[in-house]
Amino acid sequence: MNVQVENSLFVTEKVRILTPSAYVLRFSRNDMEFSPGQHLVLGLPGSDELREYSIYSGAGDPYLEVLIKEVDEGMVSRQLRYLRPGGKIEVKGPHGFFMGNATSSKPHRLYFIASGTGIAPFHSFVKSHPGSDYQLIHGIRTIDEAYDAADYDQERLVTCTSRDNRGSFEGRLTDYLRETEIDPEGMFYLCGNSQMIYDAMEILLQQGIPDRQLFTEVYF
Amino acid sequence: MKTVSFKTLGCRLNQYETDALVTQFHQAGYQVVEGGKGTDIAVINTCTVTNQSDHKSRTTINHAIRNNPGGLVVVTGCMANNHKERLEANEKITYVVDNERKSQIVTLVDAHLKGEVVHPENLSGDVFGFETVDKSLHTRTSIKVQDGCDNFCTYCIVPSVRGRAVSRPLKQITENVRKVLENGFKEIVITGVNIGRYAYQGFTIEDVIEEILELPEDFRVRISSLEPDGFGPDFHRLFQHPKMAPHLHLCLQSGSDPILLKMRRMYTVRSFMEIIETFRKQMPDFNFTTDVIVGFPGESEEDFRQTVSIVEEARFTHVHTFRYSRRKGTRADRMEGQLPEKLKTERGEVIRRISENNRMAYMKSMLGESQRVLIEKVDRDGEAHGYGEHYLPVVFESGSMITNRFQEVGLHDVIESDPPVLKGSVIRQDRS
Repeated sequence: MNVQVENSLFVTEKVRILTPSAYVLRFSRNDMEFSPGQHLVLGLPGSDELREYSIYSGAGDPYLEVLIKEVDEGMVSRQLRYLRPGGKIEVKGPHGFFMGNATSSKPHRLYFIASGTGIAPFHSFVKSHPGSDYQLIHGIRTIDEAYDAADYDQERLVTCTSRDNRGSFEGRLTDYLRETEIDPEGMFYLCGNSQMIYDAMEILLQQGIPDRQLFTEVYF
Repeated sequence: MKTVSFKTLGCRLNQYETDALVTQFHQAGYQVVEGGKGTDIAVINTCTVTNQSDHKSRTTINHAIRNNPGGLVVVTGCMANNHKERLEANEKITYVVDNERKSQIVTLVDAHLKGEVVHPENLSGDVFGFETVDKSLHTRTSIKVQDGCDNFCTYCIVPSVRGRAVSRPLKQITENVRKVLENGFKEIVITGVNIGRYAYQGFTIEDVIEEILELPEDFRVRISSLEPDGFGPDFHRLFQHPKMAPHLHLCLQSGSDPILLKMRRMYTVRSFMEIIETFRKQMPDFNFTTDVIVGFPGESEEDFRQTVSIVEEARFTHVHTFRYSRRKGTRADRMEGQLPEKLKTERGEVIRRISENNRMAYMKSMLGESQRVLIEKVDRDGEAHGYGEHYLPVVFESGSMITNRFQEVGLHDVIESDPPVLKGSVIRQDRS
């Protein structure tokens, strides 16, 4: 069972900028245990405005990381970007069950299907379980959004770019799913915006994948 | 003897916890009174799941303050967790006790009456620390197996007010069941905030139920409500056991997959319907009831039409319909596409009518069948009232029947009252 750390203050270690609108926030671990796929609720101390972010770092890392997309109208995503090392963060969690059964699904292949920053839980999983048999299908607009692509086995990573031709597949990830042969025994984990998840699920269900092999985590 | 009154709002778990408090106060020598005017102590067990619940809770607290001048007013329940500071600022409320410490209210009141000053936060927290409910209150009692929820559905405030999911040790549960059976209860309801998340030392909710069913006494078991992702593929087989009541309150919330995703529900409409079909394949007359939220942000006419279609197809005999209510701190509160209250009310009314039709059709389909009714009361006209195993109300000529007994009853009519009731007659004396 996870050690649950509630309403605690954590300390910022660094903010790593990935693109003009995306960054990784690293902060102290505070002995928190978690499973890849779980998320945290965080914000500035004392603020009522807290937001949910999937854990990006691996279970063995001495720190915690989350991958954040700065939202134009967003409050928390902007505040967190300007944290300095030593700055305090209020963190609740970990929460969620998204990938709770992924480590027990052997020998079936794991399909990780993500849009944008929805790649975060899969980054955590791959760092935690580097020998896993997975295929990561990442839907992004341009190749610049292939966050930390070098962290994955390149033969297992498919970047689907909808607005440039620099990805391994030119088009939406739903187009890729329609055109690709998939293992019907595989376990499918989908993370990202609800429209992508809904569309991808429709395709997988049409291809005969039963609901019990589909797991979702929606980003808003 | 000091007098104490109780008011309860909200869910079945809250009702159970009040019943347990009633028992605790009674055992401690207090006189429990109904109505609640002029009592020495008034306990209000609140709810905060919707704006309407908040409003009702506030009104009930104000009534208690007005009706019990000079008495102690103790506010507990989910509103005490969600609006703690605001309630504590009200000088007319003596104590605000959160859910974790609810079971310790008797200790708090005892200390107060002895002139001791105890802050509720200094009480020990134990969400399973309630006394076994006394048989004088009901013919069925709840067994709390779990508390809290980690699902974080985007509309729901419950994880913030009930806390993280915790499971009661299996041994404690079976001991509790033994005790209530010794007390004479004939029907137990397995309850909690999200009982499908029961997890204790590798035991699941199925293990809990199996253990309870092993007990030898003549009793039956109900499940209070269940999430569709909270059990394994063989769960339906448990209902082959004669002690299991063939009824489930299986929470749907929406019949539209896009809305379920936005609610962060962890199932699809198809997987939900597969559960219904699996159960009905095994027991064609299995009774399903459910919860539905209407007017969730962005719920289109098409989304709602799909919910209507599922409510019809699944033949739910009761739909607890909630108009979506914005709860601060939840993700759905920040979603675009918030719908007007008028539209939510209209949609709720549509669902209500369908569920009434479903219920009437289901009741009529039971005519000519028999039910094993647990008699809850016998009225002045000598008619016995109770529920059959499918959780339908039944009334029949009692003869010399007494309460808290099972009785086999043949069903021959539906009384079209509000709500409708099945009319029957005794077909065999049951000696249990």
